[in-house]
Amino acid sequence: MEKKSLWKKLTSSHEASLVIVLVILCFLVEMKSPGFLSMKNILEILKNNSVIMIMSLGMLCVLLIGGIDISITSSLALSGMTMGMLIKYDIVHSTLLAFIIASVIGTVCGFVVGLVVSKGKVTPIIATMGAMYIYRGFAYLVANSQWAGADALGDFNNFALESYLGFGIINNVLVIVIICYIVFFIMLKWTKFGRNIYAVGSNTEAAEISGINVDRVKLAVYTIMGFLCGLCGALATSVYASAQPNMQQNKEMDVIAACVIGGVSMSGGRGSVGGALLGALILAIISKALPLVGIDAIAQNTVKGLIILVVIMLNVITKRMFDKRNLERREM
Amino acid sequence: MSEYILELKGITKIFPGVKALNQVQFQLKPGEVHALMGENGAGKSTFIKVITGVHKAEEGEMYLNGQKVDFKGPRDAQAAGIAAVYQHPTSYPDLSVTENIFMNHEIKKHGMLQWKTMHQEAANLLAQLDADFAPTAEMGTLSVAQQQMVEIAKALSTNAKIIILDEPTAALTANESQKLYKIVDKLKEDGVSIIFISHRFEDMYRLASRVTVFRDSQYIGTYEVDEISNAELIKHMVGREINDLFPKPEVKLGEEVLRIENLSRTGFFKNVSLNVRAGEIVGLTGLVGAGRTEVVESVCGITKPDSGCVYLEGKALHIKNPTQAMKQGIILLPEDRQKAGLILSWGLGRNVTLPIISELGNRGICNEAKEREVAKKFLEEVDTKAVTIFDPASSLSGGNQQKVVVAKALAQDYMKVIIMDEPTKGVDVGAKAEIYQIMGELAKQGYAIIMISSEMPEILGMCDRIYIMCNGKVTGELSREEATQETILEFAMEKSKAKEEVK
Amino acid sequence: MAGKSGRTIDATVNTTWKNRIFSWEGMLLLLFFVINIFCRCISPNYTIINVLREMPKYLCEIFLLFPMAYILILGDIDISVGSTVCLSATMACITCNAGLPFPVVILVTLLTGMVCGMINGLILTKFTELPAMIVTLGTQIVFRGIAEIVLGSGGSVSLSNTDGFRAIAGKIGPFPYVFFIVIIAAVIFTLISTKTTFGRSLYAIGSNSKAAYYAGIKVQKIRFIVFTITGTMAGLAALFLTSALYGANTTTGSGFEMDAIAMAVFGGIATIGGKGKLLGGIISAFIIVCLRIGLGQINMNPQVILIILGTLLVCAVLIPNISGKLNIRKKKA
Repeated sequence: MEKKSLWKKLTSSHEASLVIVLVILCFLVEMKSPGFLSMKNILEILKNNSVIMIMSLGMLCVLLIGGIDISITSSLALSGMTMGMLIKYDIVHSTLLAFIIASVIGTVCGFVVGLVVSKGKVTPIIATMGAMYIYRGFAYLVANSQWAGADALGDFNNFALESYLGFGIINNVLVIVIICYIVFFIMLKWTKFGRNIYAVGSNTEAAEISGINVDRVKLAVYTIMGFLCGLCGALATSVYASAQPNMQQNKEMDVIAACVIGGVSMSGGRGSVGGALLGALILAIISKALPLVGIDAIAQNTVKGLIILVVIMLNVITKRMFDKRNLERREM
Repeated sequence: MSEYILELKGITKIFPGVKALNQVQFQLKPGEVHALMGENGAGKSTFIKVITGVHKAEEGEMYLNGQKVDFKGPRDAQAAGIAAVYQHPTSYPDLSVTENIFMNHEIKKHGMLQWKTMHQEAANLLAQLDADFAPTAEMGTLSVAQQQMVEIAKALSTNAKIIILDEPTAALTANESQKLYKIVDKLKEDGVSIIFISHRFEDMYRLASRVTVFRDSQYIGTYEVDEISNAELIKHMVGREINDLFPKPEVKLGEEVLRIENLSRTGFFKNVSLNVRAGEIVGLTGLVGAGRTEVVESVCGITKPDSGCVYLEGKALHIKNPTQAMKQGIILLPEDRQKAGLILSWGLGRNVTLPIISELGNRGICNEAKEREVAKKFLEEVDTKAVTIFDPASSLSGGNQQKVVVAKALAQDYMKVIIMDEPTKGVDVGAKAEIYQIMGELAKQGYAIIMISSEMPEILGMCDRIYIMCNGKVTGELSREEATQETILEFAMEKSKAKEEVK
Repeated sequence: MAGKSGRTIDATVNTTWKNRIFSWEGMLLLLFFVINIFCRCISPNYTIINVLREMPKYLCEIFLLFPMAYILILGDIDISVGSTVCLSATMACITCNAGLPFPVVILVTLLTGMVCGMINGLILTKFTELPAMIVTLGTQIVFRGIAEIVLGSGGSVSLSNTDGFRAIAGKIGPFPYVFFIVIIAAVIFTLISTKTTFGRSLYAIGSNSKAAYYAGIKVQKIRFIVFTITGTMAGLAALFLTSALYGANTTTGSGFEMDAIAMAVFGGIATIGGKGKLLGGIISAFIIVCLRIGLGQINMNPQVILIILGTLLVCAVLIPNISGKLNIRKKKA
């Protein structure tokens, strides 16, 4: 067996190159605007991007089985909105109960999508596109031309401000993010279910023959995605101190982008929790850093889009170069 | 205890519209290697899937060690000690070898996977099979033969008492087949019973003690291998006698049509030179992976060669894509009919006329009446078994699909060189003879034909001249008279032999 | 060697009227009438004149349906068209406000769309490994981003000189010009897809792109052309949209890509490629337009309409799948 040098290992692993990119990025921004890397600022960035970070985990699983879900922010809005209205009209008081309600609604949304995709054999893009319309529509109906602002939410806002879950050191929201990442890391790496997700995405037919219940894995993955949407609905309401029917609209693209930057394959079977995390972080830092390095806020989307395009094209180019090098080595 | 470890009686399996198995029976003795033979579409693969619980039979009973069993799914069969190695390696290209081996029967402790133990176990299994790769290797980077080994390791890891091998040698070279035979022998010694499906008679004679034949979804009979002759067996499989399997006509060779000089493509082949004359059938053989397909793909513009020249009737060509190749009169009938040769969901007619729609039409407008006429003419010419030209290509058997591909080439009347890549792969005995017949006719009409094949009999039986490739280089050229199985093999393994000596 | 076994293969076409009526397109046509009767029942204002008057702003989306249908038949997808419409509409307003002659405005609008389409096409054909979904996701963000930059901090622009756009929003009798243009485009796009070698190539590529390539079809060239056409049609849609709205903002055209895909899929054009007819897409487009107008007239909450459309979209794919399953089960029993 060949022994790979450390450098080769670093450059051949997508995650490692992402870490390098992230470090360079942070370094550049820090040079330009000192104080960027202060603990407080970092925690703030993480908190503001918690929703994207958590949903990237669900999207990772969805992409791993070769699917896609563009209904996520709609189910997020529906669950967040419903919860917001329940709090507004004093039906729910406890923060915990509010979280549970939002998560349950999200789970149901995801379950329905999962049923349509797995049992109804509808292609994921169509099923979730329809679901996107439907859930967003329901979110508006629930809102009934109203919204839940900071005063209406009352106590619930404090969840994102306090840190009782993190023993007073780490913000509650971040604690939830960290828990999610640990759970998903363990699930995807060490449990049978996690490996089945990879198996289904890598070769569906083979998975069926080896006795994996493919439909059930798909259903479970979309349901998990839904659960995370519900959870994020509650989190977003708390972080931004408002629940509106157009919450996080179009952010599903950010979530997909985070995964893609993180090296998750759109055709299934490839991707890791680390990649999703790094992708989300890079995206978060870029959007935070652009104004700092003098790019107008108005150009942010353009730059974000360009970065996605450049990353995916670079991936292809490096893959091609890698293949070519391999071939040359095979020279007879 | 019953005499048989596995017994199936009266199995009937119905798919929408077709009876895939009709009252089929089968008996497997403990520790025997039992060959299962029959033409494509005879129901062998379906039968295997019934045994392994992937399909559920509508009728019939299955006994394991004399006890009636009823599998609800693949897991039940796995638990009962039945494992299958399917025709197309059913692997997960993105996952490691270990994971492929232990997929769905992982070693767990408190719900957590034990990677260390699994890697260790996988390494042990691979060592048993003399494998030359690590359990941490990614499946997608392995060769077909190596993947097959992983599949067998997977079967072993379930402690299977019955292992089913579905055409395991189809993608293997002669050398690799030998290795597989040894593995099968070893399994037999360990008391495993094996069901072996193959189109190759040599496999059956080498390994099996008994053979069961299926035809048209029905059970024909079970015979002792020692007591049945080749001809008889073919008769049982095809339902009629085939007198002349290789109808090679005597053709007077014409001028040289295609000449390839020093063609190279980094990492695939180097300095390949060969030529073919009008009316000649030239064989291009060698082990799988020797670079045969890559050479002809470069000739036809599918991939770009790095250096070298292709001459057609003395003129140098610069072909960039298949369209240009066809305009010049060179056509490649690809190995993978289903993926590259045909549009399976389309009718036969449209498949045949696809390359020539522009010529038949007028200024970009299709002339459908003319298309139908042309399609009918050429499909009848190659004697396709079909009812109408609107039958979807997917409804045909492998052999008939190959005929449609040939018709597609013939429809372009300016063709000079026809390159056939494994024309009889996955084609049953009866249809094989028909395809050889067509090849002979084409040669008679003056086409220059290059046939890539791994099957020794057809190379020896059909070709005027044979080029042998090994590791990306042409290592030998033999005339029809010189060629024997031994000489070809010698050239085909030249390099690997040399390597071993160095070691 | 012809007819060695004397076997002949039938080559006569026989499509019966029964087959035609019971096709997906036939069903859609029936549904179209049902929807119209339904709308007439619920809304007294649902008259031909009124429908035609309200139609122009919905018709713009149908322009996107045609090329989207081609893209879906190819087995690709383009979710950047809405953004292309936004950018083109923005350019239309800016150039118009700058006082350029109206033909130049039209040219700039169409060219903007075309360039956007070409960028998509270029990336997709040079990097064939990339799925269209992710590339157009990127360009979707970029195109709208550029529109945002052009529009500046206000995020919107309204026409200062509406003469030119008022002219193309004109009518012949009760029929707006755009209606005729949609019909003409529908006929052209349908004929291209059914009668020409280009159309046949589209289906070939969508069904099996490798086999199409081996058969000598220039797969990448055709993909490039189709994406370019898509961009150009988005420019055309932007032109008429501007004539209906007299302005543009950062959300112009958002959701158009989804609507176009929904119309096509509802019309029986599968996202896996190679399947479906443009005719179905066109009928389903008019069904959706009529339903929107009808429900809009009785002041139905636009969100409810959204829910209905979403449900229709999913059911259009779900119902055939489920009934197919049931049929098989019935046959078994």
